[in-house]
Amino acid sequence: MFSIIECRNITYYYPLSRFPALIDINIALEAGKIYGILGANGSGKTTFCSLLRGFVPAFYQGTLTGEVLLKNKPLSDYGGLLAKEIGYVFQNPFTQLSGVKDTVFEEVAYGLENIGADADTIEPRVIQAMEKTNIKDLALKNPLHLSGGQLQRTALASVLVQEPDILILDEPTSQLDPQETRNVFDIVKALKEQKKTVIIAEHKTDLIAEYADEVLIFEKGRLTNRGNINHILSSPDLIDRGVLPPQAALLSNKLKQYGISFDSIPITYDQALNVINRLLHTEKR
Amino acid sequence: METNYTEQIQIYKTNKIAALYPTAKLIIVVLYIFCTLVIGTVRITSLSLPLLLIPEFGIVVFLLIVSEISKNGYNILKDIIKFAAIIFFVQVFLIPGGRLVFRIFFLTLYEEGIRSGISLAFTLLNIAGIFIWFFQTTETKEIIRALEDSGVHYKAAYIMLSTFQMIDVLSQNSKTILNAQRARGIETDGNLLLRIKAFIPVLLPLFLTAITGVEERVLALETKGFLVECPKTHLLNVKRSGHEAYAVMVAALCTIFILAGRVMLCFLS
Repeated sequence: MFSIIECRNITYYYPLSRFPALIDINIALEAGKIYGILGANGSGKTTFCSLLRGFVPAFYQGTLTGEVLLKNKPLSDYGGLLAKEIGYVFQNPFTQLSGVKDTVFEEVAYGLENIGADADTIEPRVIQAMEKTNIKDLALKNPLHLSGGQLQRTALASVLVQEPDILILDEPTSQLDPQETRNVFDIVKALKEQKKTVIIAEHKTDLIAEYADEVLIFEKGRLTNRGNINHILSSPDLIDRGVLPPQAALLSNKLKQYGISFDSIPITYDQALNVINRLLHTEKR
Repeated sequence: METNYTEQIQIYKTNKIAALYPTAKLIIVVLYIFCTLVIGTVRITSLSLPLLLIPEFGIVVFLLIVSEISKNGYNILKDIIKFAAIIFFVQVFLIPGGRLVFRIFFLTLYEEGIRSGISLAFTLLNIAGIFIWFFQTTETKEIIRALEDSGVHYKAAYIMLSTFQMIDVLSQNSKTILNAQRARGIETDGNLLLRIKAFIPVLLPLFLTAITGVEERVLALETKGFLVECPKTHLLNVKRSGHEAYAVMVAALCTIFILAGRVMLCFLS
């Protein structure tokens, strides 16, 4: 797989800030993978997402050193066309609203109108995106009258409809119930099957463990850990870095303290189930 | 059966006047305002009053009726009439000058006051009335779409549309802030003074939210490909009813007739 987006020697300061929000970030993200971004509040997850989307420094200003390359071309070279390449779901779904559309259908379709998509293709694409995110019954409602969760699904639909190669999702499930959260992650999984790259900042490590290919751990603006998801998420010191390990890993680490040994610490429910089954099987024998 | 959403967001009007194309209506509005200003200079009767403004207001009322505007439009007009009445009485009783027309106890009416009262009140009624007609028969997104069709840049069109829509957003934000204040125990209901007192602390957060909202809007537009320089697609189609040429022609003929009449009056006097 080739590197689709690359950060080289990135250090970034927000305007009027003496402390960097991102420090010495060097990373190449591969196409077709799901990346989970984890870290405590204020660790730099959102800033990193904004950096990859080109909002930093173009919109937030501040001082940036280093460069971000998208398909080996600097982000700044893309201009407005970046919207076609990278989709972005904001932490606050209200930010995703255009403010000029009266219905959810029009709001979702707005991105396609802007990029000059063929009028006949817009409606089927919008319906498909609304079906994926379960908002079809809200199609003719005013976006300003939606609940947080509904708005978050609308925000996701308005990005999915544009079918970008890379999707950056900044805590896209913060206002969703467990069923809708699971649905969002299933969408993410389906995107991976379509060879899309998904970068997802989340606190729900259980889901990251289940769906992501790799994790990036941020601490005070530094990318402190990156790579194998099993190795990183099973680490007992994860909690000291402001990240709650997956429930399966927490339980396994606790059991380990009581003398139960594992070949490897499970991080997903399925892995935990396998381990427990194996333990029970050994016990019986 | 699959719902056709694109069809559902279209604006259909059965009334022929209301269904006129927005730019045609805009031309009528401009010509009407021009006529009001011209008619306002015509003085009749021995007191030389701009009385022709009164029957002119009848045209607006007629337009509102034949365009079958909603009850909301009449409510707005009622409020404007109340405001115009206040202006009229303030002008009539407070402006001295010219001949004394009427006196009862301490109330005195001078020629100048009546002239100014009629002029201001009916100019306001005519101009506000024609705008009420325009906005009650035309949705904001229709206006913007029509302007974009007639060559206005999409960025300028967006600014206009979002400014109109901002009223909704601000009113919703003010409700949220008021609710937040209420949750903190601040009295927001009661007499007028209490309501005004409660509303003042809302203003600062309201404006701050509006300012931060602008930044959010920029980001939203960026993610929605607003800055992609290409011909934009529009799902909303604003159709011409086919009567636009006649309507504009009638409005133009009326304007020419009024203007010619005014010029003739100038020569006659």
